[in-house]
Amino acid sequence: MTAFRRCLAGALLFLFLSFGCIQDASALPAFARKYGLRCSACHLAWPVLNDFGMRFRDNGYQLMNEKDAPIWQNNGYWPVTFRITPNWHRESSNKVQVDTAAGAGAGEVQVTSHGYDISGLDFHTGGTLEKNLSFYVLPSSDSTGAFHFETVMGRLDNLFGSTWLNVKLGKFELDNMISEKRILTISNNGGFYQLYHFVPVGDTNVFGQMGDNQLGMEWMGHSFNDHTRVSAALVSSNDGQVGLPNGNSYSGFFTASQAFDAGGLGLQRIGGYAFIGEAPTNTLSLTAPTGEVTATGVPIVSTTPVPGSGFGNKSFSREGFFGLFYVKKFDFDVFYQHGSDDAYFGSATVAGTPLPTGARNPTWNGAFIESHYTWNPQLIFIQRSEWVRMSQQALPTNPSNLGNIDAYTFGYRWYPIMTSRAGFAWHNEYSWVRQRGTSPVTATDLSSSSLMLGFDFDF
Amino acid sequence: MRTRMLSLFVAVAVLALCTASPAQMTQYDEDQRWNTESHIGSLTGHATGAKVTYRRFCVGCHGVIGDGEGENAQWLDPKPRNFTLGQFKCRSTPTGTLPTDEDLYNTIGRGIVNSNMPAWFPLTNQERADLVAYVKHFSSKWTTEKAGQPIEIPAEPEITAERVKAGEGLFKKLECWKCHGVEGRANGPSADTLTDDQNRPIRPFNFHDGSRFKCGTTDQDLFKIFMTGLDGTPMPSFADNVKPEEAWELVMYLRTLQPANPLNTKEKIIAKQLGLKPINPYAAPPAQPESK
Amino acid sequence: MNVGSNQEKDPMTSRFKLTGIMSALLLVSVAALYSARGASAAGEGKITGTIKLDGTPPHMKPIDMSKEPSCQQIHAAHPVTLENVVVGANGGLQNVVVYISEGLSAGAAGQVPSETPTWDQKGCQYIPHVLALDVNQHFKVVNSDQTSHNIHPTPNPAGTNHEWNKSQPPGAPPFDVTWTAPEVAVPVKCNIHPWMHGYMAVVKGPSAVSDNNGAFTVNDVPPGNYTVTAWQEVYGTQTAKVTVAAGKPVTADFTFKAK
Repeated sequence: MTAFRRCLAGALLFLFLSFGCIQDASALPAFARKYGLRCSACHLAWPVLNDFGMRFRDNGYQLMNEKDAPIWQNNGYWPVTFRITPNWHRESSNKVQVDTAAGAGAGEVQVTSHGYDISGLDFHTGGTLEKNLSFYVLPSSDSTGAFHFETVMGRLDNLFGSTWLNVKLGKFELDNMISEKRILTISNNGGFYQLYHFVPVGDTNVFGQMGDNQLGMEWMGHSFNDHTRVSAALVSSNDGQVGLPNGNSYSGFFTASQAFDAGGLGLQRIGGYAFIGEAPTNTLSLTAPTGEVTATGVPIVSTTPVPGSGFGNKSFSREGFFGLFYVKKFDFDVFYQHGSDDAYFGSATVAGTPLPTGARNPTWNGAFIESHYTWNPQLIFIQRSEWVRMSQQALPTNPSNLGNIDAYTFGYRWYPIMTSRAGFAWHNEYSWVRQRGTSPVTATDLSSSSLMLGFDFDF
Repeated sequence: MRTRMLSLFVAVAVLALCTASPAQMTQYDEDQRWNTESHIGSLTGHATGAKVTYRRFCVGCHGVIGDGEGENAQWLDPKPRNFTLGQFKCRSTPTGTLPTDEDLYNTIGRGIVNSNMPAWFPLTNQERADLVAYVKHFSSKWTTEKAGQPIEIPAEPEITAERVKAGEGLFKKLECWKCHGVEGRANGPSADTLTDDQNRPIRPFNFHDGSRFKCGTTDQDLFKIFMTGLDGTPMPSFADNVKPEEAWELVMYLRTLQPANPLNTKEKIIAKQLGLKPINPYAAPPAQPESK
Repeated sequence: MNVGSNQEKDPMTSRFKLTGIMSALLLVSVAALYSARGASAAGEGKITGTIKLDGTPPHMKPIDMSKEPSCQQIHAAHPVTLENVVVGANGGLQNVVVYISEGLSAGAAGQVPSETPTWDQKGCQYIPHVLALDVNQHFKVVNSDQTSHNIHPTPNPAGTNHEWNKSQPPGAPPFDVTWTAPEVAVPVKCNIHPWMHGYMAVVKGPSAVSDNNGAFTVNDVPPGNYTVTAWQEVYGTQTAKVTVAAGKPVTADFTFKAK
């Protein structure tokens, strides 16, 4: 804890920036243009939403003023926003596997690199097709310009005139109250929540990822003032991969939250969630010649999984609670998770084959607390501390702290302009992550850090 | 100390006397009113408490000095409210008087349908109360006069066929159809030439297509609209010529003009039972015993 | 901060200051009081004159009242035109408000006449087209037509007169209005009949409106030196300085140039 305090003290005195992975949902100046509102109306500090913006989103990107349908816009209005972040960043990892004199891949060295770089591009388009019919499409590219579809969804809003009946279909972010797609930190190490992606070391469950956009259907309901929110989503257990690659398994994501008006302090919200489902541990495979031959003329074959043939489903779960607390200019997000994967996942065993001796369901507890200080709508300070602690390892031979994570991030964003047309943030961030026992050669602690300074802008 | 206060007092008195001059609001004027307060129920709002809130949410349309000339105003129709005029549409007070703090609080929370004014009720009650005080501080009218006296709204009587028919008679006699049209479609003979107080074109409310009014959705809101008028628009107050009990009859008739989906009110059911047709405004009244 | 030492410094000057400010306040508050105790001088004077338009008056467009058949019928024999500039046979300019803009004593300025003029709506026109009123003078709004009108004055929003908007169906009783602040002039319109325009000029002290010959008479003017202003809705204002003696009318003529 002392080290953490030192880190925190350092954060308060010394703020750096670093740039990293692409962040998705952001301020949509397309919405600002449509309604004539500034970014600060819906966003505490874009991209993170405030309560007014959250209600706007939950209504299906509608203000419910009878002017939401696209016919009310000038026919030149096109609901598109793009976001990109050119930056300078410094990445450092203390144990990277390299060739040494001792042998190929025998060594671990610290590798540090820094320089100017760019992020990927997000092309957001979203809004209404008609009153109470909304959509969102987000082609997103990495920094080389290779595109994929991050979000593609259509939503029926306020069915039968009720705010409790909204149905979404497509590829979308799970209804995380603390949205990773709207995270205020965007560096390589700080641009995501560990707990939204955490899998124990050696675990083959890549499907239980709360932070990845999933393919499925979601029912969502909220009270008129959006203080009460519930949702239930049924998603395919393929972690958002298109083309039905993994077979026929499903997961469910459930969440509910309640907000309380604390007068002068602001709105406080608490809630809980559960992500439970099953996913395949095995697929059928096909061994076929590649058409090439070895030096001696023997045909080379390769064994590939047959797409869509996943089987041997085993279950997993992630559950916990969260809270969003506002105290005037401060706000705190608190998140807790208890996670559990089936022993077959944890020990990388396919179903139907015997488990290794002593294999158990790996379980863990994790939490993060993220705090913001919004000096004014154009300056926000961010700090986050996150911990993951394994409570039960999959294999008895694993060290008890294998895979435990400590992650600290701090930074600030300054928005020199605040208009209804475009957004610009001078982004500064430092993040540091350490995971126990995962260095590639010696299986000792692996830590890496990111420092980033960038222009995060959208139009 | 005393002399300074006295000179300030004289300065304010002199300023108050000079209000007849068409001066623009200046920073000095605005600075005199930072201590504006609002009172809504048990809430007390302070203008100073809303500085950041106004900047975050309101300034893009209503402008830094509250004159309705924010950066987005040029593309908005209807235009954002100019708070420096001290004139508001949605009130519970008679025409030509200031609204109560509660009227402003409700407008902020409810928004204004068919306009770009959002419903701000996700803001906390205290934030909205502070914003009411902030809205008031833009106009000197609140320092020189009190809000109007809210009009009397008697309890709503039972909806009956007689009242609906009486309301139909009122609709014809008060000639609402001249602007709103005989079916309430906003296509009356005077509808096309209507202009607001700044001579900008404006449309009357379309009862046939519209389920929500600018100033609310309830029967009480509808009652207040035509008994106080929407100041700044062509919609006048009918309070001089309609008794409060009669006003409820007109409310019931107006509900029959509104769309069945989503409203489907009792009035619409009665209208169907009565076989109510659009009024014929030019029909002569039934023949009188003595000839004209 | 030592308050005591401040008071000891200049007791005499601060007392003078206090007295000065108090008496200034007193004067100001007396002036602000509208009291009927104004100078009821014996032998009030008059200001008369003629107002002419120099040049060709602009063409006034005829009004199409087809949207209001009941009014169209009334004017079937003599169609009416807009009334922005009304010139009589001898070049006399009608509807010009003449009032005293400077020089009235507080008492005379504060006097409110007891007459209640009428603002009538007849044949879908305002009769009179321009009404001159005193601050706080009561006047009656009457609807003499078979159709509804709404009376919608739009005073200058920077002043203290409030905009209001009242409906008056046919057969409705007249209603009473006053204006609390001087304003030359408050435009009045009817939204139902967009061609209807009129003005209410609210002034302090006596005033008059010129007739079809351009002639006006301002009565009940106490003796004194005054600045008289003439206001016309298109051509703006002109001023003249006059000295009024008891019992004798003084003349002030005005000529506006047609643009």
